[in-house]
Amino acid sequence: MKFLFDFMDKKIAPLFEKGGKFERMYPLFEAGDAFTRTTAEVTGSAPHVRDSIDQKRLMVFVIYALFPALFFGIWNAGHLFNASNGVEGATFLTDILRGSAMVLPIVMVSYIVGGVWEVLFAIVRKHEINEGFLVTGMLFPLVLPPTIPLWQVAVGISFGVVIGKEIFGGVGYNVLNPALTGRAFLFFAYPAQISGDKVWIGSAHTALDNSILGTVAENIDGVTQATPLAVASAAEKGSSAAHALSDAGFSLWNMTVGTIPGCIGSTSAIAIVLGLVFLLVTGIIAWRVVASGVLGVVAIGLLFNFLPLENAFAHLPFYYHLVMGGFLFGIVFMATDPVSCSATNTGKWIYGFMIGALTVLIRVANPAYPEGTMLAILFMNVMAPLIDYFVVQAHIKKRTAYARALNNA
Amino acid sequence: MADFKIKKGFDIKVQGCPEPVIEEMGSPAKFRVHPSEFEGIKPRLKVAAGDTVKRGDVLFENKKNEKMLFRSPCGGTVAAVNLGARRAPVEIVIEPAAQEESVTFSKYTRDSVGQLSRQQVVDHLLNAGLWPLIKQRPFSKIADPSAEPKALFINACNSAPFQANFSLILKGDEEAFQTGINALAKLTEGKVHLCKSAGSDVPEFGSATSHTFSGSHPSGNTSVHINRISPILPHDTVYTVTAQDVILIGKLLLTGELPRTKVVALGGPGVKASARKHYRVALGADLQPLFEQALEEGKELRIVAGNLLWGDVVGADSGLRFYGSEYCVLEEDRSRHLLGWTMPGLLQYSTHPVNLSSLLGRSKLWNLGTNLHGSHRAMVVTGWMDKHQPLNIMTDYLVRACLAHDTDEMIQLGILETDPEDFALAAFVDPHKTDVCGIVKQGLLEIEEEGI
Repeated sequence: MKFLFDFMDKKIAPLFEKGGKFERMYPLFEAGDAFTRTTAEVTGSAPHVRDSIDQKRLMVFVIYALFPALFFGIWNAGHLFNASNGVEGATFLTDILRGSAMVLPIVMVSYIVGGVWEVLFAIVRKHEINEGFLVTGMLFPLVLPPTIPLWQVAVGISFGVVIGKEIFGGVGYNVLNPALTGRAFLFFAYPAQISGDKVWIGSAHTALDNSILGTVAENIDGVTQATPLAVASAAEKGSSAAHALSDAGFSLWNMTVGTIPGCIGSTSAIAIVLGLVFLLVTGIIAWRVVASGVLGVVAIGLLFNFLPLENAFAHLPFYYHLVMGGFLFGIVFMATDPVSCSATNTGKWIYGFMIGALTVLIRVANPAYPEGTMLAILFMNVMAPLIDYFVVQAHIKKRTAYARALNNA
Repeated sequence: MADFKIKKGFDIKVQGCPEPVIEEMGSPAKFRVHPSEFEGIKPRLKVAAGDTVKRGDVLFENKKNEKMLFRSPCGGTVAAVNLGARRAPVEIVIEPAAQEESVTFSKYTRDSVGQLSRQQVVDHLLNAGLWPLIKQRPFSKIADPSAEPKALFINACNSAPFQANFSLILKGDEEAFQTGINALAKLTEGKVHLCKSAGSDVPEFGSATSHTFSGSHPSGNTSVHINRISPILPHDTVYTVTAQDVILIGKLLLTGELPRTKVVALGGPGVKASARKHYRVALGADLQPLFEQALEEGKELRIVAGNLLWGDVVGADSGLRFYGSEYCVLEEDRSRHLLGWTMPGLLQYSTHPVNLSSLLGRSKLWNLGTNLHGSHRAMVVTGWMDKHQPLNIMTDYLVRACLAHDTDEMIQLGILETDPEDFALAAFVDPHKTDVCGIVKQGLLEIEEEGI
């Protein structure tokens, strides 16, 4: 090991440093070098000692928190495929294999294409390669259906990374969550492959071919199964949405466990809560956003429950909203993105609450989009600086009043 | 008189606490004065190499205010005047003569100081070269003699790691301390606030209102005292002095001569265990002999004039600084650790639960080095920097306002009552390794240039 490290430090490093042959590629070298070993850099000025925490570790730990959702998503994709297509002799293992064949290519395309953009911008703009990209590259596939064509994954992550983040200057300067920006782009540009009844479960014909070749038009034979949100919003006026859900085979239990059609990472509330607990224990997550988001869903869900509306969806008990669709995944992993979320503590409460409230409002009141979380988060990303502005102004008023009061005392 | 409990704050667990005993250092073989230590002045040299000086002769004056003089701590021969960038003098080396002659100043008693006018006190301190011990807020610079401060704060606290123990320093110098307070009380129409750490045995003194502060660092920082007792509004000025400097001022007034010694604490993991204590050192003394005997050998060390959170890096051959009462020595830690992003995080000190050391290493004292523990990243406003900030200032937003050169917002958020040292813990915990203190310092300079 020591020999290898000495070789790196003495022979390879000078090539990339100032004046070296590959000077322009320095960000790439720095990323790899700091990935293998922590840096040797010492503090330049006071404070002379620093906490041994850095962005790399924080971001990697967020990815660890996504693993339960990823693994469950892989199994679920394979399981639903095998069950719906009547594959004989399907076992847990073949479910995993089938799921991996569907999901892992999506994850890899997301990382490779997104990574190329990140490195390209880092080299041209001369900024460091930011670990935030690692999280974006994992979040993005988890909010896509498992049958999404790979070229769309590439287009979506490119849009998310370039337009959502890099044109603003990279991680730390962006307004919107890059992964959600990419998803919103796909949602409006290619709605047929990301919404509807046919995209959640691959068919025998399309499972592999579809992903590789993008032969979407052939998806006529695809297995049709609606998501709980689609079922609930299709429930007729005056009927019971809860009944419609149970008629379609959705119970609170299977929506919590996650054995239902949906985006890869967002079906299982249990897997997401596991990730949430990990993030809470490691102190990474902005818990105020999650708490107030859940509060927002409960509050507006209850409000709709009691309003005298004909809309069947409005009367669906509020707790269904917590486990249906992408809300939980969104509020835990997307809304809490430190860059695009509200920065003040008071602001976080307002921001999270509004995401929860808007999610239910869009789901119930807008027939065009059965899923409201994505739009709610993006809208509140845009609003977050405004919320913070008012919180900071209120703070300034308070501290001025405090100073004046003490001075006059 | 009030007791303040500061809830937010954090004490870094580090090895090397200096023992509360004072070792007397003999008279030094060389003196070194550092004009570069005084920020915001333009020195005009009054001596050249080879000149003979008396103890108390003027070495240099401030071009911006020619009444502000800086005097020699010893009598002897000027051995060298070392210049730095743009030919600014950085060091004046003086070799003491066997027979020392001293310049004398007017002598007072504890009570006759009270008969002086404000102008007399100001002129006396400016002339004797001790005025720069008095600093002011806003801008945390040498006090403007013509300002009308609404209060004066004396800081006798020690909350940062390894600060000198003031109750130890005070023993035997109570008379000088009281005389100093009496003189300083003349400088302000308002009150003199004497701020002590809770539990210290520093008694009450006349002419000053005593307050105690308890809690983790930065409960001992002057900004916290100002914020809790008399917050600064735009166009307010307060003067601040550290407690040991009040003794120096008192001695000048009592003896009619420049004070001779002060006490410094020497601590930190880079100091030999037996040498971690307080030292009584001649003002301006060359500290090289002390460092040679006290520092660990065979390691790359960093000597900080100050503590590990706040202070300047100095060479092993520098003289005793005009400001401050402590030195801290740390190892330059350039070690690299395999896969730092995923290891359990037991081996490096941390306060963040993402590293296990924050939990399992809580009760241990750490051998902290100067490693940055990460690479610089773009700053993200998360509120994380506010974690240990007892000043009610929204640290993240203040730093952002500084980066955006938005002087109005900086002032509104309360930058005027701060000193860059108040942001040391924010920089300590920041995962993006932002140079928070430097950014705030720059922000203060910008406001000073543009006006409030």
